[in-house]
Amino acid sequence: MDEVVKVRADITHRYGDLLVHDGMRLAIRENEFLCICGPSGCGKTTLLDIFAGIIKPTEGEVLIDGAEVDPKRHNISFVFQEPSTLPWLDVRDNIGTGLRIKKRPRAEIARKVEDIIGVVGLRGFETYYPHQLSGGMKQRVSIARAFATDADLVLMDEPFVSLDQPTREKMQREVLSIWEHLRRTIVFVTHNLEEAVFLGDRVVMLSKKPARIVADIPVDLPRPRDPVSAGFTALRARCAALLQEMHVEEGVNH
Amino acid sequence: MTTTALPGRLTYPRQLRPIALNVVSIVAFLAVWHVASTLVNSPFFPAPWKIVQAFLRLAVNGDTMGNSLWAHCWASLYRVLVGFAAGVVLGVPLGLLMGLMPGFYTATRSIVEPFRFIPPIAWIPLAIIFFSGLPRFAFLIFIGSFFPVFTSTLVGVARVEQIHRKVAVVYGASRFYVLTHIVLPTVLPDIMGGMRVALGAAWLTIVAAELSGGTSVGLGRMMVNYAELLQIAEIVVGMILIGALGFVMNEILLSVERRLFRWRWQVTL
Repeated sequence: MDEVVKVRADITHRYGDLLVHDGMRLAIRENEFLCICGPSGCGKTTLLDIFAGIIKPTEGEVLIDGAEVDPKRHNISFVFQEPSTLPWLDVRDNIGTGLRIKKRPRAEIARKVEDIIGVVGLRGFETYYPHQLSGGMKQRVSIARAFATDADLVLMDEPFVSLDQPTREKMQREVLSIWEHLRRTIVFVTHNLEEAVFLGDRVVMLSKKPARIVADIPVDLPRPRDPVSAGFTALRARCAALLQEMHVEEGVNH
Repeated sequence: MTTTALPGRLTYPRQLRPIALNVVSIVAFLAVWHVASTLVNSPFFPAPWKIVQAFLRLAVNGDTMGNSLWAHCWASLYRVLVGFAAGVVLGVPLGLLMGLMPGFYTATRSIVEPFRFIPPIAWIPLAIIFFSGLPRFAFLIFIGSFFPVFTSTLVGVARVEQIHRKVAVVYGASRFYVLTHIVLPTVLPDIMGGMRVALGAAWLTIVAAELSGGTSVGLGRMMVNYAELLQIAEIVVGMILIGALGFVMNEILLSVERRLFRWRWQVTL
């Protein structure tokens, strides 16, 4: 595991008078797969917008490689919870969106898009438009778009929440395999503990608003992980217990 | 996931069927017309072949003033194109501007909206005083085509999804990139729809404007001339030509739309 710190965050954020994030300090190592878990409405999406540099925190800052995050300077990728493919572009052009905004040479865009299409299993669908694809495939296009750029940081906001269980499990394994291939620093937000323990090198648990980090749990289980193994269930139970302690009913493993 | 083959392949029978049906409709229409005119048997109700004769006379010899039929067609078409182009060139940017800056629209709403309800024909008296020749007609057609384009652009901007903007911004897009690559593709179908409405308004306006005088050529002018001579067939030729020109321009716009909006049009196959 790389020990270089890629992202360093120290954030306090208010929305009007409402304290959303209270002195949240986080260091994310390069190529780390970090999962953030917390009850609904704890400001996870705002947190990702702050990481992406599209919202400025009221106090503190997010540093990537030591410089304040800026979408124009850093390569940030975002996989949104809702469908975010652009309906007027076909699969190939959708995947190339980030690269085109970054003004990469045409040949490089074509090559990178071609590569990632193979990795996410969309070969044969290059010229399809989003309306011709299922929800899972659209999300795969968004994931491909996020991994096509040499992203400094890939932010994923509950990307599988609207998918059915089998598709969801399939996509989890695919994201892991893409990550193992390409190595990126990922912040993955979910309210599903099982998903967090299955995917993450580390699981950070947030409290209800104002959100604070209540636990920072390294997941030392070997990959590929087996969700029914003793180690896995023990760790998941530990996270669940932490949530229980916070008297939070929502979000526990469903 | 759709299991159909790649879109864009219509087979011949499916394309030919509507054409065949339309031929049948036209023949039936002409037959009814012919029978009706035979029954009425009046010089004020010419049969279809009288119209064809009048068309040939006009096409070969020109009208009573010596203007050829093509001069009339071209004069009207040219005026429509100039005014329509001006309407689009001003309507789209203004619609985008006001759509993107809702404050601007809100602040000027009480001026902008009433203008929409002044029909282009109501501008004819002013146009007669201030302009002559091409500018007069182009101005009136501009008035007629500006608002459909402007309004549909304005409404279209509201349809731009926040998530699509966010996609571009996250990857570091500038405001200009968002405008050209997110807003414009979203609004384009609305713009094209507005353009087709504007085209109808343009033809409506050109005839009214030409009827009001100030020119010796133009399909509207030609029809007035023959109305004074009580020659019905020539008037009908003018009507049919206006319908045909409008139809052709509309079809051109539609085929551009189909080409541009493959992502919308071929929803299911």
